[in-house]
Amino acid sequence: MKLMVEFDSDGVQYPNIAAAILRSGVMVNVERALIDGDEGWALLDVDDRDAGKFIAALTRKGVSIRIQKDAVSHNRTDCVDCGLCISICQKQVFSFDENWQLVVESDRCVLCGRCATYCPQRALSIQK
Amino acid sequence: MYKSIDEINERIRDGSVRVVSAEEMPDIVDELGVTGALREVDVVTTGTFGAMCSSGAFLNFGHPEIPIRMEKMWLNNVEAYAGVAAVDCYIGATQESTTRNAEYGGAHVIEDLISGKSVELHARAKGTDCYPRTSITNEFTIGELNQAIMVNPRNSYQSYNAAVNMSDRAIKTYMGYLLPSHRNITYSGAGCLSPLPNDPTLSVIGSGTPIFIGGANGVVVGEGTQSSPGSGFGTLMTSGNMKDMSPDFIRAATMTGYGVTMYVGVGIPIPLLNEEIVKHTAVRDEDLKTSIVDYGTPFRDRPVIREVTYAELKSGSVEIDGEEVRCSPLSSYKKAREVAAELKSRIENGSFTMALASRPIDSQKRNKPMAEKGYVYHVNEMMVSTFVTITGQESVKEAAKRLLKGETNHLPVIDAENRLIGIVTTYDVSKAFANDEQDMTVSEIMTKNVITIAPDAPVDFAARTLQQHNIGALVVIDASRHILGMLNSYDLGDLVGGRGRR
Ligand code: SF4
Ligand code: SF4
Repeated sequence: MKLMVEFDSDGVQYPNIAAAILRSGVMVNVERALIDGDEGWALLDVDDRDAGKFIAALTRKGVSIRIQKDAVSHNRTDCVDCGLCISICQKQVFSFDENWQLVVESDRCVLCGRCATYCPQRALSIQK
Repeated sequence: MYKSIDEINERIRDGSVRVVSAEEMPDIVDELGVTGALREVDVVTTGTFGAMCSSGAFLNFGHPEIPIRMEKMWLNNVEAYAGVAAVDCYIGATQESTTRNAEYGGAHVIEDLISGKSVELHARAKGTDCYPRTSITNEFTIGELNQAIMVNPRNSYQSYNAAVNMSDRAIKTYMGYLLPSHRNITYSGAGCLSPLPNDPTLSVIGSGTPIFIGGANGVVVGEGTQSSPGSGFGTLMTSGNMKDMSPDFIRAATMTGYGVTMYVGVGIPIPLLNEEIVKHTAVRDEDLKTSIVDYGTPFRDRPVIREVTYAELKSGSVEIDGEEVRCSPLSSYKKAREVAAELKSRIENGSFTMALASRPIDSQKRNKPMAEKGYVYHVNEMMVSTFVTITGQESVKEAAKRLLKGETNHLPVIDAENRLIGIVTTYDVSKAFANDEQDMTVSEIMTKNVITIAPDAPVDFAARTLQQHNIGALVVIDASRHILGMLNSYDLGDLVGGRGRR
């Protein structure tokens, strides 16, 4: 699953992610991150079975953790099932079912926002 | 064996007509043979739902109490062409709003009207004795218009190139967003379900052919603009009453970074009159070829990367240079099927009858490119071929000397084989000096991602590239990254200003 971790000014002072990995022994993949002196966020991918353990190890002052669900929201009424988003997204979030209807598997999304920018019908939006 | 259009219409009237979609035809012909299929099936329905930039509508507003001869007009701030009589206009789908740019355009005005929304009209005129009024602002809905007639000058492409981007920068095109280094392919068209591939010789489709368009029962006007059936790229001019249309089959769209376009659902029924027609409707996606072309080059004659069938395109991945590239349409196949199905049900319930074309369309015609009369300058005519370079191992101090000696602001960095690997500018060098880094090597401070251009590119494209990246010079390189020259923005200045004078 994907975890959205946000750091406030205390949270950015300490190597929280590294410490949590060491403490829990759980491997995570940092998919996107933006951290500067005052605050920051990181999108982590962690195996569902290890998520509880990792979240426990990461829970500290200055760190807030949220399970990232429904990262992309898809407006069925506006969508025309053109499929342009399928090849634009490099995380294979989108595909067609056997009736050429768009299927969205939001859990693979890394919130890059590209699909929302380029959907010709403006039928996609990204949770922030 | 053959069948007449009257026989088919008789069956439509008595409810015994047999209609199938173009997708089902190949299997039917395989099973029953051509003669058997002609006996069993009367009409084949086709459908497509894709971006058709070349669309628009004629609107007539009726005369207000104090008459006006509208000369300039805007609908929801989108300019419409008013040079057609007093209270008429043509609203083109791709025209962008003066206030919301590409997020709202002519296509959105059309979709709003079809959805029953009210639209604001603003018009200006100089005023004449017979039309004294000089301006008008008014709200209207489609119901209040005398006519709202959609006319699509170019529609229902027979086939269209698939797009890829071989350059190393992402590009925004009417074919959607194309990732750099051929990481995605986009294509348009419904393949074997599309109208024209089912009648490539235009033996049935011509002026007057009844069609389904945007939800209305419409008509083929005739040959479409830019039509080139002789080379497999035929188009049709189509028309339909917007008052009968539905937003299910007309959708405004914005191709980000490109502009406004309109998705139009079009379906054409093919009456099976003889065996020749049956054979054409048995076409499969495997038989329909198109080319994947590189949209990363700025030329009209874009390089063809490979041939491909619609079957391969529809599979979702196509091989290029030994790599599987993800591929997706920008037209909707699901909607194309809905169009064909809706057309089928209208024929079956008797509300849509067949007619022969009143005039044929030339199926051999080929499209001509524009013959530009003015001279087009190319990069190699404007570049400077004397330039100084430096290698990555040399020091920043040396770079400073070289820049001074060469009286230039840009110093391309080359490797042992003289190939371009980076660039340093006077800014980079001054920055290094300011930070006491003059003993660093050039490769430590250079920009690796150099903006380059090919010698045969038109200078207008070079000017656009300079502007887009907000830089002062482009390195001109050949295919093996050897430097041929430098193109400076100040060399282009007067040319871009006074084209044609040298
Ligand atoms: S690009 Fe937009 S309209 Fe097209 S399938 Fe994706 S979500 Fe739907
Ligand atoms: S935001 Fe990026 S990763 Fe997420 S679905 Fe859209 S394109 Fe894919």
